[in-house]
Amino acid sequence: MAIKSSIRKLSAWLDLSQSLSGVILAVFLWTHLVLVSSILLGGDAMNWVARNMELSFLSSDGHGYPWVVTCIAISIAAIALVHVIVALQKLPMSLRQQRALQQQIQVINHGDTRLWRWQAITGVVILLLLPVHLWLIGSSPETIGPLGSAARIWNQGVWMVYLPLLLMVELHAAIGIYRVALKWGAARNLNTRSRLRKIKTIMSVVFVALGVASLLAFLPHAG
Amino acid sequence: MSQSRILTFNIFRYDPQQPGDKPAMVQYQLEETPGMTVFIALNRLRAEQDPSLQFDFVCRAGICGSCAMVINGFPTLACRTLTAKYADGNITLMPLPGFELIGDLSVNTGKFMRELAERLKLWLHPDETQHDIHLIEKPMDPEEAAKLYELERCVECGVCVSACATAQMRDTFVGAVGMMKIARFELDSRDARSAEDFYHVIGTQDGVFGCMTLLGCQDNCPKDLPHMQQIAYLRRKMAGTLITISKA
Repeated sequence: MAIKSSIRKLSAWLDLSQSLSGVILAVFLWTHLVLVSSILLGGDAMNWVARNMELSFLSSDGHGYPWVVTCIAISIAAIALVHVIVALQKLPMSLRQQRALQQQIQVINHGDTRLWRWQAITGVVILLLLPVHLWLIGSSPETIGPLGSAARIWNQGVWMVYLPLLLMVELHAAIGIYRVALKWGAARNLNTRSRLRKIKTIMSVVFVALGVASLLAFLPHAG
Repeated sequence: MSQSRILTFNIFRYDPQQPGDKPAMVQYQLEETPGMTVFIALNRLRAEQDPSLQFDFVCRAGICGSCAMVINGFPTLACRTLTAKYADGNITLMPLPGFELIGDLSVNTGKFMRELAERLKLWLHPDETQHDIHLIEKPMDPEEAAKLYELERCVECGVCVSACATAQMRDTFVGAVGMMKIARFELDSRDARSAEDFYHVIGTQDGVFGCMTLLGCQDNCPKDLPHMQQIAYLRRKMAGTLITISKA
């Protein structure tokens, strides 16, 4: 049996990698937020999560390997880069295309087109804010924990990056997953589509609430 | 008997053939009659108030697709839109975006559809080696015929192209109408073209992989064609050609 893949079919590979990278990033994002929200259970809970993420159970001294977090940050940056490069092809890059989109939204009343514009806008904002977050975490992974994170977020004022990033990324991810599901045929009929749309909104609201609550939960730990 | 209400129409007027003419919204008023459609109203406006008003129609029954226009922000067929639907009696009419404007509400969808058919080769490609005019054509499986019939219902009104922001941003994008017709031939057992052949036609950024699933086509199609499902089917089918497994 021989398996042959065609690398010349660039358009298909681009579309596939956009969907795939988007799904990986969304799953990571939601997992990451659930792990960070361990701060809601207290400092000890978050410490336990942070140490386990650094694979402390594999080290004899129990300190773990903070560079694992750096590796995760680099991997996420690489996947995000792939996602950005392929997604950029879909965005209206020229002035003519931007005018056409603006006119379309003015003339035609269509919810999912407006939703896509939000997906594009949030994507551009994420492109600006995500590197800051990845750099802060990737360059000093050993500081992740109730005290270190609280100092970063509240004493150093990084909440000004995290709060807008949280809002943008939770909107972008939920809309993106909704679109990927429809794109590849997960909705067999319009009822499923409307259910997916509701789930998308719920996911955004729940994760934004969880994120804001987690940011606030760091406040008592800030010196 | 209650008095019928007065409808207010805001209609886009512009004749590109007239030198110096400028696009403008012109207001008309008309007394509503029972069962009035936007198409009937336009005919009355033209007959009673302004004979220069341009719009297209043929069948008056949602079959020919000629009278498609944007009615209060939704691209649809004028002959299938009752004026009673608009509670405040205000109706704004715009020509379909994305097509060459002939004048006022009339656009050249025919030119677009013809070019699309030639570009995508939207006709049956039977297996030439098996062709024998003396043989009786094989009967088609009723289930397959029903599937084809469902996709054949497209009236080429152009609504899906106008409702698609991707098509507005990229002139060369084939739109849902092109993909619907390709899906129709892909499903047809008499068509000899393989998935690989279809990939060369729509496996591009102008075809199925350029579609951003905004679903303006699905939400506005006056014939309720299953665009969302068909485009997803084609996308899976075309992506399926990326990897081929053969018995070596």
